[in-house]
Amino acid sequence: MQEKKDAMFSYQFPDGDRRLAFSRQSSFRHSHWDPPLPSPSSTPIPLMPRSHSFKPHLARSDSAVGLPLLDNSGHKDATWVALILAPVRGVANGSRPMKRLALMISLNVAYSMVELLLGLFTGRVGLVSDAFHLTFGCGILTFSLFAMGISRKKPDETYTYGYKRLEVLAAFTNALFLLFLSFSLAVEALHAFMQDESEHKHYLIVSAVTNLLVNLLGVWFFRSYARVNIVYWKPEDMNYHSVCLHVLADSIRSAGLILASWFLTLGVENAEVLCLGIVSVAVFMLVLPLFKATGSILLQIAPSNIHPSAFNKCSRQIASLEEVLEVSQARFWELVPGYSIGSLSVQVKKGVHEDRILQHVNGLYNDLGIQDLTVQIDYE
Amino acid sequence: MERHNSPASASHSQVIEVNIDIDPDRGTSSFPPISNPSPTSNNKACRGGTCDLSYSKDSPERWDSMRKLVITVVLCIVFMTVEVIGGIKANSLAILTDAAHLLSDVAAFMISLFSLWAAGWEATPRQSYGFFRIEILGALVSIQMIWLLAGILVYEAIVRLIHDNGEVKGFLMFAVSAFGLVVNIIMALLLGHDHGHAHGHGHDHGHGHGHGHGHEHTHDHGHSHGHEHMHGHGHEHEHEDQEHDHDHEANSITTKHHHGHSHNNDMKESLIKKGNKKPKRNINVHSAYLHVLGDSIQSIGVMVGGAVIWYKPEWKIIDLICTLIFSVIVLLTTIRMLRNILEVLMESTPREIDATQLEKGLCAMDGVVAIHELHIWAITVGKVLLACHVTIAPDADADRVLDEVIGYIRRDFNISHVTIQIERQ
Repeated sequence: MQEKKDAMFSYQFPDGDRRLAFSRQSSFRHSHWDPPLPSPSSTPIPLMPRSHSFKPHLARSDSAVGLPLLDNSGHKDATWVALILAPVRGVANGSRPMKRLALMISLNVAYSMVELLLGLFTGRVGLVSDAFHLTFGCGILTFSLFAMGISRKKPDETYTYGYKRLEVLAAFTNALFLLFLSFSLAVEALHAFMQDESEHKHYLIVSAVTNLLVNLLGVWFFRSYARVNIVYWKPEDMNYHSVCLHVLADSIRSAGLILASWFLTLGVENAEVLCLGIVSVAVFMLVLPLFKATGSILLQIAPSNIHPSAFNKCSRQIASLEEVLEVSQARFWELVPGYSIGSLSVQVKKGVHEDRILQHVNGLYNDLGIQDLTVQIDYE
Repeated sequence: MERHNSPASASHSQVIEVNIDIDPDRGTSSFPPISNPSPTSNNKACRGGTCDLSYSKDSPERWDSMRKLVITVVLCIVFMTVEVIGGIKANSLAILTDAAHLLSDVAAFMISLFSLWAAGWEATPRQSYGFFRIEILGALVSIQMIWLLAGILVYEAIVRLIHDNGEVKGFLMFAVSAFGLVVNIIMALLLGHDHGHAHGHGHDHGHGHGHGHGHEHTHDHGHSHGHEHMHGHGHEHEHEDQEHDHDHEANSITTKHHHGHSHNNDMKESLIKKGNKKPKRNINVHSAYLHVLGDSIQSIGVMVGGAVIWYKPEWKIIDLICTLIFSVIVLLTTIRMLRNILEVLMESTPREIDATQLEKGLCAMDGVVAIHELHIWAITVGKVLLACHVTIAPDADADRVLDEVIGYIRRDFNISHVTIQIERQ
């Protein structure tokens, strides 16, 4: 059981070997940090921690602070306080992608603050609108960061399946935001098409260039996810992919604005409309596969990596056993990419011992990739 | 689907369930198991055929909700066209902006309508739990739109602040937003005053199930026809729901039965966690209602700002402050629904189910040694599923224990989709 849970919670970094550098640093931190608080959690603190095992830190701060707050609803609002108290610690002990994301978010926030103040003082609306757009994007990215941090918590009473789903949800929110972005870009293109003046693009060049540079840095951080169609093996894959697409879309938008300005100075008519339209379509096509994939997980659609005929084959195999009368109500869903859950109901003849059937059924579905199966055996 | 438990056993923990099926044709399984085309009669997991995991298309509550939303959408489109024409004629950006807000309202209503309609689709092998989740995702999209619009409004206030050349006419702003407010109030009335119930006229549990009259707010419970939820609220609610009288003739049978069993609800109520204050209303209509409510609050804010600018054009900062305050208020109204959505999407134990008590109750049964891997989760607000592994004593009768467990869970916690894996020690 523990191994299964570990398998569920382990992850690998896109760049392999530099983990060792991390773990050495972490072990220093661990030895400094001999905890003054007793750890109520049952997670043992390993002597030579792998980079994954920053968990005890987070788990300790959570459980130690969260415990007095723990009423009957171990719901998210109770742990909100704990997490607000230790976000910096959480990020500092987090994985490398988390740190990079935090860096990017802080860069973006700083930049948008500067833009907002500049825009307010100099009275330029374009800067203010850009700052708002950036702030919204940062908010969504912060949600992704938060999801990364909280997803390592062990399942508790209220969240019996753990917190990994939040990563899928964060990816979905990102994808949704990008869809809204593409829609708003299309509206902007339409607006520019109907109006014939295009004076507001010129002083945005500096801000667009800076935006582009910051976002390209982000794309570089998450470069292994800079593809449109990815097979998702772990829940973090979805989150990282969504973050990468977010910064990619932002950089495409900035590049589009720069191009539009350049074309305008070259005297190309309707350059804005063209560029904005192209960017809008590009962002839409970019984000659609991610949106569909996250949406299908949230909608409890059957696991996409398993062909439906395989399910039929399994149930036929079970039904063909001689003690089994019929198989019904077989339902499967994906909790996160890589972890599928199912339940089914098997009718058997009277007096059959259930262990054999349970083992057989579990074995069959485990081969398919369903890790968690609940089988109800009804006797005739 | 009719079941009458004998009244003699109406002791402390039993609720008399009278399931009158208004539409007898709903009895067939609309939920095809993968390998078996015909519904099973001995299947204990799902008594009586239909598993309530997809609507029958002709459930009246759903049609009522859809009708309401359609009327609201049509009205909204009419108002929007009026505003667009007026705005183009008067060449005013403010009016056009308000028309754009109405357009976003229309979009939100379309999302709700689509979710309502889609929830009635039959379950497929790929989508084995039916299409109810679409409601939740639709509500999530709606709420994200509300947040986006609040942000846009704050941005507009800042733009008004920056444009010092006085092209903002306070009077026009005031008039347009007043008109928008009136429109929003009309739509809020159309969508029904859900908010009234949340304040608990009388006792809350009555409310939670008050909509079991086949009210449009509980379309999503097939058992709204008088299944497990009917804790004798018939007599309590006659006087409140005047506007929903048209539903009563369809449910007159259930109403009569309600009176007979009203005394049993008190016992049952104590078993479900007291925190069950949330009435089970249609989440789509509720999210559309939130959208309209948010818009009216923002209209008030813009009205105040317009009045300020009209009265004293140099106090522009008050406009911004007002808009900020009202935007925050709007966001606060969405927090509760967002929390519910989040909990459902995270597959967490629903708030109204007390998992510890369920576990204790199960362990207290004879034959049961231990419970593990207990998972309770909801497909949408109100539809709960349960899966767990029960370890029984080596000599116990697995069949009997299974029956008892399923019966206990179904009676006391109202969870109808239960999958229990019995293991021997």
